[in-house]
Amino acid sequence: MQERVQISDEQINRELLSGVLHTPLWFWGLVLLLGAVAGVGVIAAGFLVYFGVGVLGLNRPVFWGFLITNFVFWVGISHAGVMISAILRLTQAEWRRPVTRAAEVLTIFALSTAALFPLIHTGRPWRALYWVFPYDFSRGIWPNVRSPLIWDPSAIFTYLTGTILFVFIALVPDLGMVRDRTTGWRHKLYSVLSLGWEGNPRQWRLQAVAGILLSALILPVFVSVHSIVSWDFGMAVAVETWHATVFAPYFVIGAVHSGVSAVVTMMALLLWIFKLKNYIRPDHFDALGRLLVVVATAWLYFYVLDFFFGMYALEPQEIANRTLIMFQWPMSFMFVLFALASYFIPIPLWLSRKNRRNITLMFWSSILVNIGMWMERFQIIVPGLMRKEPFTFTWGGYAPTVVELAMVTGSFALVGLGLLIFSKFFPLIPAWEQKEGQLLQDEVQVGRAKVPGLVHE
Amino acid sequence: MADRKWVMVVDADRCTGCEACVVACQAENNLPINEEEGFLKHRAFEWIHIERYWEGEFPNVKARFLPLMCQQCTNAPCEPVCPVYATYHNNEGLNVQVYNRCVGTRYCANNCPYQVRFFNFFEPVWPESMKSYLNPDVTVRSRGIMEKCTFCVQRIHRKSRLAKKEGRDLRDGEVSPACVQACPADALVFGDVTNKDSRVVKLVEDKRNFQLLEHLGTGPNVIYLKKVDPNARNGSH
Amino acid sequence: MHETAATKASALSLLEEQQGITRDLLGRLAHAGPRFWLVVTVLGILFIVGIVGVVLRLQGGLADRAKWGYYAATFAFLLTAFQGAPIVSLATRMVKGHWRRPLARASELFAVVGVLSSVLFLIMLNIIPPVQGRRTLWFEWPVGAPYLFDSLAVIFLAVCGLGLLYTAALPDIAAARDRVPGGRKGLWTALALDWQGTPEQWRLQKVALGVLGGFYLMFFVFTHLLVSVDYVMALVPGWKDNIFPAFHALVGLQSGVAITLVALGLLRWVGGYKKYIDMEQFWGLSKLLLALSLLWFYFQWSAFITFWYGKQPGEQSVLTFLMFGPYAGLYLTAFLCGFLLPFLLLIWNVVRRSTVGPFLAGCIVLVGAFADRLRLYVAAFSVEDIKLHALETVPATHLPDSADLMIMIGMVAGAILMYLLATRIVPPVSVWEVKEMLHYRVVRMFMKTRVVVLAKPE
Repeated sequence: MQERVQISDEQINRELLSGVLHTPLWFWGLVLLLGAVAGVGVIAAGFLVYFGVGVLGLNRPVFWGFLITNFVFWVGISHAGVMISAILRLTQAEWRRPVTRAAEVLTIFALSTAALFPLIHTGRPWRALYWVFPYDFSRGIWPNVRSPLIWDPSAIFTYLTGTILFVFIALVPDLGMVRDRTTGWRHKLYSVLSLGWEGNPRQWRLQAVAGILLSALILPVFVSVHSIVSWDFGMAVAVETWHATVFAPYFVIGAVHSGVSAVVTMMALLLWIFKLKNYIRPDHFDALGRLLVVVATAWLYFYVLDFFFGMYALEPQEIANRTLIMFQWPMSFMFVLFALASYFIPIPLWLSRKNRRNITLMFWSSILVNIGMWMERFQIIVPGLMRKEPFTFTWGGYAPTVVELAMVTGSFALVGLGLLIFSKFFPLIPAWEQKEGQLLQDEVQVGRAKVPGLVHE
Repeated sequence: MADRKWVMVVDADRCTGCEACVVACQAENNLPINEEEGFLKHRAFEWIHIERYWEGEFPNVKARFLPLMCQQCTNAPCEPVCPVYATYHNNEGLNVQVYNRCVGTRYCANNCPYQVRFFNFFEPVWPESMKSYLNPDVTVRSRGIMEKCTFCVQRIHRKSRLAKKEGRDLRDGEVSPACVQACPADALVFGDVTNKDSRVVKLVEDKRNFQLLEHLGTGPNVIYLKKVDPNARNGSH
Repeated sequence: MHETAATKASALSLLEEQQGITRDLLGRLAHAGPRFWLVVTVLGILFIVGIVGVVLRLQGGLADRAKWGYYAATFAFLLTAFQGAPIVSLATRMVKGHWRRPLARASELFAVVGVLSSVLFLIMLNIIPPVQGRRTLWFEWPVGAPYLFDSLAVIFLAVCGLGLLYTAALPDIAAARDRVPGGRKGLWTALALDWQGTPEQWRLQKVALGVLGGFYLMFFVFTHLLVSVDYVMALVPGWKDNIFPAFHALVGLQSGVAITLVALGLLRWVGGYKKYIDMEQFWGLSKLLLALSLLWFYFQWSAFITFWYGKQPGEQSVLTFLMFGPYAGLYLTAFLCGFLLPFLLLIWNVVRRSTVGPFLAGCIVLVGAFADRLRLYVAAFSVEDIKLHALETVPATHLPDSADLMIMIGMVAGAILMYLLATRIVPPVSVWEVKEMLHYRVVRMFMKTRVVVLAKPE
């Protein structure tokens, strides 16, 4: 990267561990605020469980609405962590260093939040929980493995486990550092968590190998998770617009698009809230922006494939569905907003290097992308159900209720709260990765210019 | 139970759209009471309902209608997608809904191409005075549970048990779901297709026969007979 | 890290090293041995056999589409494997990996095959009926669809590929003009367009490579979309599959990497380019090939599970037709050679860090790609009535006749022939890129060992 900063190890330790070791006042204020919003969401969920699914805006035929959209959306966001961490680690891209842990932790909280939604919106969640668990609680009746709704929790929990392991392996060196700088109950906690880390060559080698192995193994899991979530819809025969072979890669690439944008949002917040100027630089946003342009264009390709070939066979439901989405109010308004927000405003902006290095612009444009992608998920799920079959007598509509809005908003607060509390216990930027990056930096004289270089591993 | 295949034949030519079948089904199967709000919110329970389509412009308007109930598909798309095996196919050709197993994910409803599955969004309530008319042979479903037409499986069970006790087979016409029993025009015919002497065997082969959404390959066990209308436009479905 | 060949400090100065490379690579351009011309002659004869096959096929006319299945599959194979190769160069250029330098030209040179594939395509252009009255991509309306747009796409792709090759090779052509004696000097002078190597020219070349690279990738994907939909999917009734165009392009990318690996292996062992084409190139490409082979399985599984689960009769018959029925053998070959065998080979570090392993995987993938194109095009062309709503009866296997065999062998030989002849004009290892590498690569002391430091310019 062009901007090379040489910071002393002591300064790195001090700046990156400060979040863990000291708690400023605004932290508690933010926790209270996010906690309140999340609390409202929890109360709404309480309403849902107590009174029944009728408090939502669902009906016949639209049996899945905002909550399932939110589920798919958060699973999508969870793809950021692996994309950034595993792939960039395997391709040895230097600019990943400050981003990896925050992205992985975003994955963990996004995934956990996502997993709550399909559970809580069932008719009888108190039974759903243990009947979907792979054990015959009911005398010989196991869960139905032919159902995509059983593939879902398997995939999600595999991914969650893998990501937690991944985060933990990368955390251990920093946990050792925090252990050495704390006393009392915190010292005890970190002593247990850091697994006796001393930083000798053998441990470093094990840690590096474990990281690389996990990176390689978690990639197929990451592709499979959102593919399986997409097959919740893809396996359906009755909803013609859902019965598309392209759903798996389409959803995955959409997830990467929204996930990496979420990482951009999060990095900007980290930079501003924790004042980490030395570690999060315009370079990183530049690189993330370029990645996003490629990913977003690939997403557009798959979107066009889905949209266009859906209509290829000229089936009446497909035509009715697209007509509804594109031309009937208020779906048409949402369609225009979605198209602009997910692709046609951000990507042209991101083509310019100056824009990519403008952190405020990157922050707002990445939020715009996620607004657009939330709407994209909605447009796949709900209009498909509204125009599901050729019997127009049963065509329906959908409008969300306060309960759904509260739960969706609460989910955002929940993820934010999780990240904030995590930052209290563990440093969000890997200190050891920063130091490693600095060690591997070098310069090469080419003619009269000094070009930054890297030690080739 | 012996291996049977229950089939319903709906003669669209005979159906007058009187909706007696709808009322009978509601009474027989303890369907929750539908109020106006339920209809406006698209949450009404009508295990059998009359689909109605308007054709033409005033004053030459025609109503086209068709009774629609669970088609008890042989390759039911609702069955593989239930995570808890709450819906399965029994050896009498019925698509069975197990109320106490259902957790209400509603995937089966989404995957039903005929849209004939209904969900209990709230706990159904009956006024005290009306509780005495509930049918004791049929479960009263609580909230969060999917339900649909069962071909009045409680009547099939009752008559099967009776026949077994008497050491004989079921006779044709002995079992009749509520809607079939109530229909004044004899538009609904119900029977066991494996019984060579039943009425349905001949009607299934009628040259007016058709099935709904045949191209999906669901294999419905409800056969419709086309309406004979000399004024109908050619080629309309 | 122990001392490797990579970390040994070079005894020569930077300039001396670069001049040595130029002399070596351009020297090979000056003359080719008798073995080369023997191979060219054999390929030339096979190509002529192929042309005879095409003529024989033409004598039957374009009316019977079923007879042209193998011809179309051969065209598709050229479009897939040969024209997919330049993407290896341009994609790795985008991510700025230095290891791509020695292999860049070898993969770009495959763009010359675009000329052959365009000619083949134009011959069979009218074999599909016009769009009216059947389900197509074009919804019956644009004027000239599908013929005009499909041929424009194929021709544009070929032209863009040639442009890409030309732009990338320009400095080397100029070097050949200046250093290589002989009859081709006039040709090189004309092609070199007064290239002098000024900073402005270099900058322009870099921008052009970026733009052309982007266009090539987009055209590649777009051309695959049009050809796969119009010449395969639209011909099979009841087949609505939106991942298919992506799958068709993916096999293109995968076999492009594979054919580059094969070319590299041959250059290294037969061509004598051992000094330039090393384990590192094979290592980088093998990772790509592994990832793309996994994607092969992923895309196929997505299509299969969606069709199979839904149990719709129209889709079940398509599955039988294309995968498990008359072309099951070809599909099995495609599955084994496109996914299972490369996967089982390339997951091992030992295999990836060798030269033979990835080369072998490349050969296997190419076999798989050809089998895949065969099953798709021969099957699609063998359907008699394409206006049906769904495929009710599955057509029987259509076996090749002698003209088909002549076409398959001859056209592939012709493609390889064009590649070899192109290496007589443009060196197959990029001189300027390998020389540029020397600027960015130094050996330094790090703690107690020697390491290689690579500069990464923006």
